[in-house]
Amino acid sequence: MTSTNHEQFPARSSLVARRRRTALTVAILLLVATLAAGCSGGPSGGSRSLSKSGDEPTPTIAPVLSNGTLPRFPDGTVLRVVTHDSFAVSSAVLDEFTARTGVTVEFLPSGDAGSMVNSAILTKDDPQGDVLFGIDENLLPRTFDEGLFQHYAADGLGAVPMSLQVDDQHRVTPIDRGDVCVNFDRRWFADRELAVPGGLRAFTDSQYRSTLAVEDPSSSTPGLSFLLATIATFGGGEDTGPNPAWLQYWRDLKANDVAVVDSWETAYYGSFSGSSGEGDRPLVVSYASSPPAEVLDPSVPTEASPTGVVAPTCYRQIEFAGVLSGAQQPRAAAAFIEFMLMPSFQQDMPELMYVYPVVDGTPVPEVFSKFTTPVAEPLTLNYELVDANRERWVAQWASVFR
Amino acid sequence: MGQRLPLRRRIPWRALLALPPLVFLALFFVWPVTAIVMRGLRSAGSWDLTAIFAVVHDPSIGRVMWFTLWESLLSTIVCVLVGLPGAALFARFEFQGRRILWALLLVPFVLPTVVAGLAFLTLIGPAGVTGVELTGTIWAIILAHVFFNYAVVVRTVGAAWAGLGESEVDAARTLGASPLRALLTITIPRLRSAVLAAASIVFLFSFTSFGIVMILGGVRQRTIEVEIYDQTARFLHLDVAAALSIMQVVGVIFVLMLFGRARRPRAAGSVDRADTRPSRRPRTVGERAFVGANLLFMALFLGSPLTVLVVRSFSTSKGWGFDAYSALGSSRRGSSSFVSPLDAVGNSMRFALVTMVISVLLGSCAAWALARPPRTSSRNSTVKHRFGAARVFDSVTEGFLMIPLGTSAVTVGFGCLIALADPPLDLRSSWWMLPIAHSVIALPFVARLLVPAVRSIDPKLREVASLLGAGKFRVWLTIDLPMIRRQIAVAAGFAFAVSLGEFGATSFLVRARDVTVPIAIYRSLGRPGGDNLSQAMALAVILMAVIAVVVICIDRLRPPTSAEF
Repeated sequence: MTSTNHEQFPARSSLVARRRRTALTVAILLLVATLAAGCSGGPSGGSRSLSKSGDEPTPTIAPVLSNGTLPRFPDGTVLRVVTHDSFAVSSAVLDEFTARTGVTVEFLPSGDAGSMVNSAILTKDDPQGDVLFGIDENLLPRTFDEGLFQHYAADGLGAVPMSLQVDDQHRVTPIDRGDVCVNFDRRWFADRELAVPGGLRAFTDSQYRSTLAVEDPSSSTPGLSFLLATIATFGGGEDTGPNPAWLQYWRDLKANDVAVVDSWETAYYGSFSGSSGEGDRPLVVSYASSPPAEVLDPSVPTEASPTGVVAPTCYRQIEFAGVLSGAQQPRAAAAFIEFMLMPSFQQDMPELMYVYPVVDGTPVPEVFSKFTTPVAEPLTLNYELVDANRERWVAQWASVFR
Repeated sequence: MGQRLPLRRRIPWRALLALPPLVFLALFFVWPVTAIVMRGLRSAGSWDLTAIFAVVHDPSIGRVMWFTLWESLLSTIVCVLVGLPGAALFARFEFQGRRILWALLLVPFVLPTVVAGLAFLTLIGPAGVTGVELTGTIWAIILAHVFFNYAVVVRTVGAAWAGLGESEVDAARTLGASPLRALLTITIPRLRSAVLAAASIVFLFSFTSFGIVMILGGVRQRTIEVEIYDQTARFLHLDVAAALSIMQVVGVIFVLMLFGRARRPRAAGSVDRADTRPSRRPRTVGERAFVGANLLFMALFLGSPLTVLVVRSFSTSKGWGFDAYSALGSSRRGSSSFVSPLDAVGNSMRFALVTMVISVLLGSCAAWALARPPRTSSRNSTVKHRFGAARVFDSVTEGFLMIPLGTSAVTVGFGCLIALADPPLDLRSSWWMLPIAHSVIALPFVARLLVPAVRSIDPKLREVASLLGAGKFRVWLTIDLPMIRRQIAVAAGFAFAVSLGEFGATSFLVRARDVTVPIAIYRSLGRPGGDNLSQAMALAVILMAVIAVVVICIDRLRPPTSAEF
């Protein structure tokens, strides 16, 4: 692109200059790199955290509730809560916590759940906050290896079903649950007088060709959950060969023209026909709590709501909170965890975050009880199993789709 | 002043001027990136380079790198080819709504990729209204890259073109050259440095493209940026991420050197204000057709995705109306994390304004430090030798200033989290974190636009002014500044737009109370149901309006000494 004739003339000397330039670039970069290495090797940086395993015992916080009441803290106590972007709580509920404990809460949104957890791990020695909320099951083993959390056995766990208490060492406490499920566009199936598919196997049926949109499990959390749902259903998770049963299911899905997109946003608003999007797919991987969000007028009968859930596809997702190891206010953090299990916070979550409470007997808003199918027995896999195999599963999946 | 040799006096002065931008980038770019890369490559106190070898030998990474390179080069070539007529249009012709359109060009530039991506899906997706499905192909990616970067070419080259004298073209035409021949042999070569500046920016943007590739490229197309994001933010394989980041920077340096090779020092300064021809209304049929074709292209190509957004923002579940806009103002059941759109716009504007000031100041330092007047005797080898070291310093610095634009946002963001955590540079919880991070991305822009602009000022003008008794500052104020006013306005507009639209680093550096408009858009889109999509689109429309108004204002700013031209 550069060869006009008069340029050939100074070619030799400019070649020398270029070489010198390259050498200098490299030299400068190396110099700066060395300087920076010197700096970051200091007390708080360096390579310690990633290689350090959870050998040294993480501290345990003594119970903070006395007779079920929250303790009071000195005025001016500030609690910093690291969250993902989807976190929300009513101001009124937050004010209640401040009124009862004297603690002011600051939130630190840190991107999506994966970014949040990874930045918490990177800043472990000098954490940005005291408590972290919004970590899901699949990310737990990594944080345990890093010793990210302190132990705290919350009083409030008494009312949480044992099936949701996956960490018996109480490094993290379950706060909410929200299953990942295939949603369907009710009108699309009604217009075609086609039955709504009953489960995963039906999606490979030729009458449901080109109807399903899923998220790429390598880039999307619900996408990964759906992949795990297929492994939980069809089995073969331990099979490292080219033909595990679950992967054969994905081959069938591909043959039936499944659409794979990068993210929940693209799938739900770009591919799905059932929400306000204008997509062409009547089935999409979303959440059990999505259909209530689509209902504008709660007085319509359930059969008239725009979308619904294919219950046998649901995969359990639990969100946890934990007190960070380097927390400046560990007791206030523990108090906040207790508060998150109390009725006012548990009742507040569904409409603000589209998730279900974990505490038994917490009333949910009418739109939730009416417009989505309660999933009694969602699909689930042990999180340690998931952690040990996830990357291989995603790679096997990618071998079919890339 | 003393009797020292002019040569000795000049070099320290330039080096001093180069210092602020270099120190800024060393602190807020090199250090964070090095910190995160080092954390990946050192474990238990010793170097572990196995990841680098593994990555280099991984054929799938090789394919990703190759795809990233040719995808971004093709995007750049298409963007330049498509943008040049647009630049000519603004440089030479006057038409109704010209100023507004000049500002509106920047609108796509600030759009969050997910919003533009959804608009493209509506147009060229599987159920697209155009009926042509391009998603999953390279063409969808290139189309979107051109959509985002069209303004870079048109505004950069257009500003340079407008300041170009026409006497040589007139001479050539008098001697019988066809307009095309005059264009190809006189105008385009003189625009070379502006075109290369624009092209290198477009290249870096396409090279680090993330959202567009994810949304429109389908599962098969992956760029090195996508890989770095996955390895850093999803898997926390910092060793692999470090190896990939190093590959990315090496790729960027390699291509920047290609661009540097394409530039050559020119003997004659090209801005001579005396014969700048003001733009005029098209007269001949050919000229009218040219203007018409250009406007039609912009209306279709830039206009249709934007129209989709505007239409979506007015279409709600209750029918057509302003519901989405009015709903933006009301908190959803008093959520504590609710930020009103007015506040979000206020936050975004504050960050963008500070980013603009920081990057224009630092970028100007860099531009005047690097804009060594081209030496008329450059082919004389002794002169070349004597100035070799200084010239190497120039080109290395110039290339170095561009690298942040070619580096993954997630690398810089995570790097900032671990590097800028200790006093005296504990910026993690500071308000300044965001404008500083945005300036790191905006500075390459500003520098890349201003360096060739300052360089193109005819040194004779400064010499004449000095001879007439003007001091250094007065020369700068009366010669340099007015001559490149357009380019400064263009650079400032881009700096503002970069900050206004930035999402990648913002998403994990932002503080809860400083939510920006792109963050608010993503939050809206992250929720199912009701009118969240319309509200996200309404926020995007507000963002579009903000950038248009701001750029119109910036374009109107003039240094006090400048005469109208």
